[in-house]
Amino acid sequence: MSFVSRNQKGTNGTYTFSSRPRPVENRSKYREKAHSTYGNIMYDRRVIRGNTYAQRFLSTEDLAEMQRQQELRRRAIAQKNKTKEQLRSSTPEAVQGRKHNVVQTELYLEELSYNIELSHIECQTDPLLDRPATPLFIPAKSGKDVATQIEDGELFDFDREVQPLLEVLIGKTIEQSLLEVMEEEELACLRAQQRAFQELRNAELAEVQRLQEQERRHREEKERRIAQQREALRMEKETVEKIAARAYTQQYLADLVPTVFQSLRIHGFFYDPVEKDIETNFFPWLMAEVNSKLEKRNAARQLLDTLIHDVAQKKLPLYTNLETRPEK
Amino acid sequence: PTIPPTTSEPTLDISEMTGVHIDPSRAPVAFGRLAIPELFAQLVEPDAARRLRALASLCDLTHDPERLYQVVSEGFLDQLEVLLKDGDAAVRTRTCELLHLVTSHNIARQALLSSPLLARLSQLLDDPSPLCRTRAHRVMNSLALLPAGAKALQALVPKLMLKLQEEQEEKEEEVQALLLSTLSCCSRLDAAPALSHRGVTLIGRKLSHACSNIRREAAGAMMALSVIVIAMSQVCEAAVLPVLADLLRDQDVDVQANAAGAIMNTVVITTGKHQCLELDVLPVLLELLSQRKPDVEEEQRRKALVLYSLRALTSLAEAPEGRRRLLLQLPLLVGRSEPPEEDADIRRAARTAVNVVTWTP
Repeated sequence: MSFVSRNQKGTNGTYTFSSRPRPVENRSKYREKAHSTYGNIMYDRRVIRGNTYAQRFLSTEDLAEMQRQQELRRRAIAQKNKTKEQLRSSTPEAVQGRKHNVVQTELYLEELSYNIELSHIECQTDPLLDRPATPLFIPAKSGKDVATQIEDGELFDFDREVQPLLEVLIGKTIEQSLLEVMEEEELACLRAQQRAFQELRNAELAEVQRLQEQERRHREEKERRIAQQREALRMEKETVEKIAARAYTQQYLADLVPTVFQSLRIHGFFYDPVEKDIETNFFPWLMAEVNSKLEKRNAARQLLDTLIHDVAQKKLPLYTNLETRPEK
Repeated sequence: PTIPPTTSEPTLDISEMTGVHIDPSRAPVAFGRLAIPELFAQLVEPDAARRLRALASLCDLTHDPERLYQVVSEGFLDQLEVLLKDGDAAVRTRTCELLHLVTSHNIARQALLSSPLLARLSQLLDDPSPLCRTRAHRVMNSLALLPAGAKALQALVPKLMLKLQEEQEEKEEEVQALLLSTLSCCSRLDAAPALSHRGVTLIGRKLSHACSNIRREAAGAMMALSVIVIAMSQVCEAAVLPVLADLLRDQDVDVQANAAGAIMNTVVITTGKHQCLELDVLPVLLELLSQRKPDVEEEQRRKALVLYSLRALTSLAEAPEGRRRLLLQLPLLVGRSEPPEEDADIRRAARTAVNVVTWTP
């Protein structure tokens, strides 16, 4: 069959393989003749049938079956061994009171043991022998000998050369220290100045306070005196006014009393009780009685008047008639 | 290899110089203009040891005014703010030291005052590390010596008073002295905040401290406080005058001078006058006046003392009792007001004293 498969390097160097599908040949065990018949894959034992996604589990029945078969097999073997043992002949048992013992019967007895006789033999080469020291290699002298040496003072004069270095070092150090000292001195100077100023200021401040206090005291004293004076004046004025008022009142009230009595008398506050009584009780009653009497009389007179009037009235027509009649 | 900074160990072995750090506690310094920027760039590294070394080199460099100017003008001071919040105490301490060095120059002081570093510094006053606190106090002190600084620090006075109260438990003398000095500088500008926080009582307690520095600073602070009338009456009430009178007999000239100054301020009010006359301060002051030291420098140091004593005597002479006693001592005062006395200020003060003593209503 021609190979229709191809494996070649792909375009980017990957390996590809492709082949045409071909049917499976049915090869016999012994390669006798080259006859190839196509087998039926349905009956091919190499083909797995059924679910290939998961492993095929043996059913429990099969498992028990397998175990039983294993047991059987084991028992058969044991049986076989046992029978083999039985077939082998053995010596009879020892008589009572005696014991069988294993004994060697060879000519030369040998010790039977599991320990193997050993003997240790070692062999070693000598450790490294000391290498003899290499002889000093002194090459043969060749060429001219030349020597040189730097004497003192040839390269440079140390004292002179070190000057600038020293100057720089010491200069810097001293400069730094001078700076610091000047700084402190300046600060001390400032502080001393400040102190002197403060002292003066404090002294002057105290003076100012003293003067202020003095001023305050004087002022208060003055004010107190003025107040006192004012008070005294006021008292005096008050006294004068009091005196004047007193004189005036005295004078005013001198004839107050008789006037009062007079007016009282006028208004009738001083009265004779009997007279008063007569006035108040008796006279009104008298007057009332008189009045009533007069009233009665008046009433009587009026009655009489009315009587007369009535009569006159009644008589009037009569009299008029009388008057007219006589004329007739 | 650069020229090593002068404060490093002097190993002048050439073989060691090549490429190896000479002083292991300091970072190597670049040459010229790049020194400062490069060191500041190293300050933001995460490793604290490297930051410390860079700070040490910076401390050395800032002694030079040129470098300092570079630091200030290129605005590196603000980077220090981050360092002040650093976790490592040594870094914070070194930063404070650097700031202290920086405050010795005016531009740096002004830059400091206008930057938010001040707020950060005030937080450092509560730092757990005592050395850091000391340095922070030093920076505050050197700032307070400047009037603009004192004005800026006015807001901190309540906090400083609180610190003063706390410091009584600790025995940090330097911190106390610095604190009192800062307070006196601030109070010279405006004594009201310190007064309102019980300044008189707190400072009065420090007057009898063992250390003469603290006594001097406390007396100075008391003097600064007592220019206000309220303070004067507080001083009289709080019985501080006897302590001040004791301080007049102290060993240290500065302590005496400051005590005399405080007394001079307090005797302006009548209560002060009466108390001082009761305490018999007059003879002490007269004695201080009559002492003359042969050494010119000593005399200069005593100038403040003499001035203050004269002023105190002037105020005391306003009370009738004082006047009577001083009339007896008139020659001494006249002696000080005459030309043999070199100092014009003392002469003037003495003349005023004489005038007051010989005044009649």
